[in-house]
Amino acid sequence: MTEPEDRRLYALTALALAGMLVAAGMIFLYAPQDALQGPVQRIFYLHVNSAIAAYICFGMVVAGGVAYLWKESVRGDRLARAAATVGLVFTTNAFVMGMIWAKPIWNWDPSKTWDARVTSTAVLWVVYAGYLLVRRFATPGRPAMRLAAVVGIVGFVDVPVVHFSVQWWRTLHPGPVIDAAGGPALPPEMLLAFMVTMVAVLLLAGTLVAIRYRIEARRDELEDRAVAAQLELAASHGSR
Amino acid sequence: MVAARREDIAVRFLNVVYAVARKDLRAELRGRELLPALAQFVVLALVIANFAFDLDLVSGPRLSPGILWLVLVFAGLVVFGRAFAAEKESGSLEAMLLTPAGPAAIFAGKALAAAALLVACEALLLPAMAVFLGSPISAAVVVTVLVATAGMASLGSLFAALAAQTRARELLLPVLALPIWVPFVIVGGKAVQVAMSGQSLTALPLSSQPLVVMADFDILFLVVASLAARFVLDD
Repeated sequence: MTEPEDRRLYALTALALAGMLVAAGMIFLYAPQDALQGPVQRIFYLHVNSAIAAYICFGMVVAGGVAYLWKESVRGDRLARAAATVGLVFTTNAFVMGMIWAKPIWNWDPSKTWDARVTSTAVLWVVYAGYLLVRRFATPGRPAMRLAAVVGIVGFVDVPVVHFSVQWWRTLHPGPVIDAAGGPALPPEMLLAFMVTMVAVLLLAGTLVAIRYRIEARRDELEDRAVAAQLELAASHGSR
Repeated sequence: MVAARREDIAVRFLNVVYAVARKDLRAELRGRELLPALAQFVVLALVIANFAFDLDLVSGPRLSPGILWLVLVFAGLVVFGRAFAAEKESGSLEAMLLTPAGPAAIFAGKALAAAALLVACEALLLPAMAVFLGSPISAAVVVTVLVATAGMASLGSLFAALAAQTRARELLLPVLALPIWVPFVIVGGKAVQVAMSGQSLTALPLSSQPLVVMADFDILFLVVASLAARFVLDD
């Protein structure tokens, strides 16, 4: 039995998959080889876009947390729950790809290079892993939602602070490329490949969040039903 | 009229903060539970550092900024964790929240008392480091540690209050608080390094003066923690 919501999710998944295939084609066949970095540079398309997707996901965690604290919106909390997991996946993705890229380009050695972007991404990862732990250890229901919302919001505030405090040392990470002063510092083919990949990755992230949201919604529904059944049972015992 | 009422609220807030902080400190002075244990912890941590790093006259002072922050961070976890775990165990936090006193004021009072205990801990740690490790402790080091304590106390108490309401509070507090304290360790570590090497902190350009940067963090996190405290404590 497929409900209309599920059918919509299948369609979205197919679309995201197609988008990722197109992006792969653009990255490997269309975009020109980088003169200095060689094929390794092609990591950039997925690396940067994974990071963007992760930031958007954590932005959704904050928005959902604010919606819960402000209006007691359970939907907001459900969105935060869904986005936190997906954001963590994309952070891991960006992190691992960054390390693969950095190995040949910076001759990367984690013990020597405490780059601002690397440190703040690591903190971001740990904060939202902690967020999921809070959800697991707090009393389920409203207390978990309330405490998790606070962790999600305070953690998000901390990340730019960490970034700033490491930048106080020197940092290695390349500066903005797309958003550089005086227009994008990329040939148009690379920019097009980047943009197509961005659309595909964001679509994929959106699809994953939508699927997680659906799972969480079904889970909440199940719990509500269990509670309702208990109440009914108690009521029938009481009337006798 | 409105101004007078506003002043009234501020006075009442400060009264609650003072009363809660005094209660916590008095309980600690009478019971003497946390401070002796913390003093032992600090000394033991230094002994372990001494043997683990195999310190001598050269490496002792060189490694002392790192050892200082390691001990301080873990002592902080114990202080802030106990502040709220003790209330939770005796069920007195709920009782306090039932009074007309606002949750933010209660939180601020508890954070203040915990910060005072951490300062007491630092008062032992810094001289002990000078004795055991030969660390050059100067006024700049003391000021840096105190400025960092304010921000660490606001965030640490927030997450301790939060973790106290969960099943695995001893596990959750370090996982939550340590990453959030990273900026203090980064900037404070640098500041202590500069101060211990005998350079003047004020010689650096203003925008990268560690004390100014840390004071900014203090203000930011005091605001964040006081805004969030209501949601952590209020059911």
